[in-house]
Amino acid sequence: MVNDTGQLYTMEGVAAGLIMLLTAYIVISTTSIYTTGDTHIPDMQLEQLGSDVLAMMDTPNSVGGKNQLVEFVNENSGNDFKETFLKYCNARTSGDDDNLHMSANVTYRDVSHGNEIKEHQFVKPPNDGSWTGRESAVRVTRWVQLDYQNPPSRDPYGSRAQAVLVEVLLWRA
Amino acid sequence: MARMNEDGQWIVLMGLLVAVALFFLALIVNQSALVGQTTAEGVLEFPKNDIRDLREAVFDYVRDYEALRNNGYDDDVKNDVIAISLERKNAVVNFAVGEKRDVSGRDLRPVEIHYNNGVTEYDETVYY
Amino acid sequence: MLSLDFLAGFTIFLLALIMVVSMVPGLLAGLESSGIDYDAVAYRTGVILVEDPGWPVNPPWEQYGRDHKDEIQRMGLAVSKDTPNILLSTKVERFFENASTEDPFFTEDDYHNKVIFGDYPYSYNISLSSGNDLRQAGDPLPPGYGYIRRVVKIKEPSVAVINQIFKSQYTIPDPSDSKWNSTARNFTVRLDFSHLLDPTVSPAYRIDPRIEPVNVTITDFGAYLNNTYYDSATLKNVTFWKRDTTKPGADPAPIPFPYGTVDSDLYTLNVNGTQALHSLKPEVSVNSSISLVLKPSATSLLPLDQNSILDIRFNFEDDPPHTNITGIHHYDYNMTNVTCTDLKTGVLEVAIW
Repeated sequence: MVNDTGQLYTMEGVAAGLIMLLTAYIVISTTSIYTTGDTHIPDMQLEQLGSDVLAMMDTPNSVGGKNQLVEFVNENSGNDFKETFLKYCNARTSGDDDNLHMSANVTYRDVSHGNEIKEHQFVKPPNDGSWTGRESAVRVTRWVQLDYQNPPSRDPYGSRAQAVLVEVLLWRA
Repeated sequence: MARMNEDGQWIVLMGLLVAVALFFLALIVNQSALVGQTTAEGVLEFPKNDIRDLREAVFDYVRDYEALRNNGYDDDVKNDVIAISLERKNAVVNFAVGEKRDVSGRDLRPVEIHYNNGVTEYDETVYY
Repeated sequence: MLSLDFLAGFTIFLLALIMVVSMVPGLLAGLESSGIDYDAVAYRTGVILVEDPGWPVNPPWEQYGRDHKDEIQRMGLAVSKDTPNILLSTKVERFFENASTEDPFFTEDDYHNKVIFGDYPYSYNISLSSGNDLRQAGDPLPPGYGYIRRVVKIKEPSVAVINQIFKSQYTIPDPSDSKWNSTARNFTVRLDFSHLLDPTVSPAYRIDPRIEPVNVTITDFGAYLNNTYYDSATLKNVTFWKRDTTKPGADPAPIPFPYGTVDSDLYTLNVNGTQALHSLKPEVSVNSSISLVLKPSATSLLPLDQNSILDIRFNFEDDPPHTNITGIHHYDYNMTNVTCTDLKTGVLEVAIW
């Protein structure tokens, strides 16, 4: 009953078992688990929030009312801009306020120095330790039209009528 | 080993079948985990806020068009937008404002807006 | 007769198969199919609420009553599709109407079919806070959920306040003249639709009586009374009259309306600062103030279009007359005539699980 003609069955069984185990091992060891950071969902939420806040700051509250964003840029009041922006960003409907931080630049074109695109630091990054080791930041932008301003001219944009881009970096601490 | 006994090959075939089924299953699992990611990436990738912002900037420009043109600033502001868009927003942008014409009883200017950030292209002609 | 070797081979195969099959659940460890798109659905719901005015737009969905609410296809809170992130107060009020009570205007199914969409029955919590107001619809928040937050501005209705500043404008200069013989005294508030619905004014600041309530408040009424020994005048009725700007010479035509029924869904008329609601034929003595709020559902009952002029006529009747109020107050964009409320900033949060 026991002879070596049946050995092939055993060999086949061993070979089949080996194939299955090898595949299973390879497949299972390559399954990846996506964290929410990989899926960029927090980035999307932050970007939409930042764009909303800039758009609302750019909307006057009544016909002929003042436009907060244009005023802040014209008068170069970085601190006021930061306070207002963070107040809108961190407000929640219930519970504690959120913990978002920001820094901002204004990009403008300098016609007197060969049409260079320059950046003016509007809100400095905070030096309380939240600038490093932070989660990835999102950049949101908004166009601002500056009217002609009589001298003394705005520093550094100059007195001509121009369009500048306000760029805000937003991150969660 | 005159003629090899190949009766056991069905066992190996079954093993191979199970391996293929496992592979297929893993493929499905792998792809389904991407659903959430590609949705968020799709939202991030479409420049909804950029295009809306550009339209608002162009409408502000059109509102002040006469004053800007009289003072010679209209080209400056337009080139500002085009140059800064290219440099900071990685988008090719162009817009043109025509003369006023009568549209259902109101005098409006035709405005053409073009936006292309390499992935999404947007063209619009609107009366403002 | 099965050989032993065949059994040996088959056994080894089966053992390996059992081990592999028991490893398959580990393959599905990183997968949670229903939770994968909570954030995407929350984002989509946020966009529908904040950037879309809803459908149908004309007549707007917030004016459909309980028996017609099935005809609403989509509920959006934006004033118009050209003004994203600016919400209309009437839409907000209707959306959250009675939401936390036993008889909410919209049921859970309504929110599913008209805002959230999708086959899976998501649980939701939608909340909007502006200033000190907080409105909520849905269930309390669980530990994990998909989320989006939007910053918005809310457009509130405007008010026409007629106080003593207007006294010289709206008092009869020559009461002893024969043309003022009758005992009726009429004061008119005029809404010129062709002027109000001006396309050059952005919908975020436009006064549109078809979608927002019209609020007329007459205060300091004591200043409009005749003499010091009259301490009140009788408001006999409030009527609506229609003019057509395309036929400027024609007389105003009276508009039929259920003036006698008190219906707070159509209008509210408060006199002297009390909470009691009056019909539009109140025959009540006024000594300090009148406040009439005409809701858009009432304006939609009146046969008006973009070229009409609506006159709201307050009729005071006493013998002899206790007041000499007269004149036409234009409800327009002039800041002294109408106080346009500023846009109020708010936060909208949508949670889906």
